[in-house]
Amino acid sequence: RVPLLQAARKKNSFNLLGLTEAELEEQFVRGDGPGGQATNKTNNCVVLKHIPSGIVVKCHQTRSVEKNRKTAREILQEKVDLFYKGEDSDIFKEKKASEKKKQEKKRRAKENLERKKHFKEMQQLDKK
Amino acid sequence: MWKPGTDFTTMRCLTHLLLRRLLGLSPQCMPGGLSQSKGPILSPKQSSLRQSCNARPGLVTATDVVNYWQKVFETNGIPEARESSEYIVSFVLGAKTFQSLNSKSLRTPLTAVQQEQIQQLSNKRLERMPVQYVLGEWDFQDLTLKMRPPVFIPRPETEDLVSLVVEEESRKCEKNSSLCFPGPVPHPVILEIGCGSGAIALSLLCKMPQSRVIAVDKEKAAVDLTAENAHRLQLQERIHILHHDVSYSSAKQLLLWGPIDFIVSNPPYVFHEDMASLDAEILRYEDLDALDGGDDGMRVIKTILALAPSLLKDSGSVFLEVDPRHPDMVDKWLQAHPNLLLILHAIHKDFCGKPRFLHIQKQSR
Repeated sequence: RVPLLQAARKKNSFNLLGLTEAELEEQFVRGDGPGGQATNKTNNCVVLKHIPSGIVVKCHQTRSVEKNRKTAREILQEKVDLFYKGEDSDIFKEKKASEKKKQEKKRRAKENLERKKHFKEMQQLDKK
Repeated sequence: MWKPGTDFTTMRCLTHLLLRRLLGLSPQCMPGGLSQSKGPILSPKQSSLRQSCNARPGLVTATDVVNYWQKVFETNGIPEARESSEYIVSFVLGAKTFQSLNSKSLRTPLTAVQQEQIQQLSNKRLERMPVQYVLGEWDFQDLTLKMRPPVFIPRPETEDLVSLVVEEESRKCEKNSSLCFPGPVPHPVILEIGCGSGAIALSLLCKMPQSRVIAVDKEKAAVDLTAENAHRLQLQERIHILHHDVSYSSAKQLLLWGPIDFIVSNPPYVFHEDMASLDAEILRYEDLDALDGGDDGMRVIKTILALAPSLLKDSGSVFLEVDPRHPDMVDKWLQAHPNLLLILHAIHKDFCGKPRFLHIQKQSR
C-alpha cells in the first residue's frame, strides 16, 4: 500500500533510495484460512523481502500489524540503501559519525581521569 | 488413575474436555469453565523441566520461561504455542512483544512474583482463552485497548478499514480546498454500528482530531467497554455511545448531531454454516452474535444499508468490512434496491490480498 511507503520515506531527513511496492514481497503468519472475523490469530509478525537485492526483514516490534508493516518498510529501506550505496549511504555516514562521537567521548573521559590522577599525585607531593 | 510423574497439566486439560462431553455440554461454555482449581501444581517432572533449561538452578530468564511454556502449550494442543508464551512473558516484563525486549531483559533472571504472574496468565491460556483476554488488553493501530470477554476482539484486518475512512476524508478535504470552498475546518460526524471494544471509533477520533463519533452496540458489555476505553484515552467528550440495536430500534436517536458523513461498521459477517468450524478460542469466549451474519452472512449488512439513506448526507459514505464472498452479493443487492440510491464505489483488499472492504456511496439526488 502506497501510504505505508510514503510514511517510511518521510520519517527521517536521510536521503534514501526509494522502494516501490512492486519490488516487495510481504508475508504474514496469518495462514491461508478465511481470515477476518473467522480467525483470531495473534501472530502479527511481518516478513518483508526486497526482491531485487534479496534482503529480508522480519518485524514483530508491536502488536499491531499496520505498525509492524510500516516499521518493516523503514528498516528494509535503510538496509537496501546500505546495500547499494555502501559508504555513500546516509545510514553508513550516520553510524560512522555516532561511533566517532563515542570514541571522542571515551578519549575525553580517559584524559580527564589521567588529569585528576596527576593532580592528586601532585597534591600528595605538596603535603610531604 | 494418577501415575507418578504424570504431567498434571495434560491430565487437567483432558479431564476438562471429557467432563464437558460427559455432561453433554456444548463447546461454548461460560468463561471460567468448570475447572475450579487455582492452577496446575508442578509435578516433579515439570519442575525439573524448568530447571534443566539453564545451568543456574532456581534462576530462570525470560527466554527459559518462554521455552518452558511453549512446550506446555504444545503438549496441551494450544494453538500458537510460541506466540502465546512470548506475549504473556513480554506482558509481565512490561513490553508489547518479545522482539521488542532488549538483550539485557532477556538475560535477567525473573523474580518469583513475575514467574507467578506468568503462571496465572498461562493457566488461562491453557483453557483456550484468547491471548487478548488473558492479558486483558490488546493493541489496535496506535492504541492500547482493554479487552474483556465476551466483547469481540478487534482483528488486524480492521486496522485498514480505519485507514480507508481517514484517506477518504482527506481526499474530500483536498477536493474542497481545490474547488476553493471557504469556511471553517469540517467536523465529520461518524456513526459506528457495532462498536465492540471501541477500536474503530477511538482510532478514528485519534486520526481525525476534528471528528465526532456516535457509537452503538446492541450489547451492554460492549457499550461499557467502549466507554471505559474512551475514558482511558480521554476521548469521552467526542464520542456518544448508545446501547442500541439497529435491527429493532428507531434510527431517530442516531441523528442527534444531524446527517452523517460516514457510517462505518465491522458487522457480524460470518456465514451461519461456518460458525461451528471456528476455533475454540472464538466459540468459547467471544460473543457469537458479533460474528454470526445469518445464512448468507448478510443479515446485518443489509440492515445497515437499508438504514443508510435516511442517515447519510448526500455523497456520504458507508465503509464496511465483509467476508470475501460479499462484494458481488452486495453489488447485486444494491442494484436490486435502486430506491436506496447507494452504489458500490470501491472494493478494497486486506493485507492478505482478499477482498475485504466495501466503500458504498450515497448518490446525490
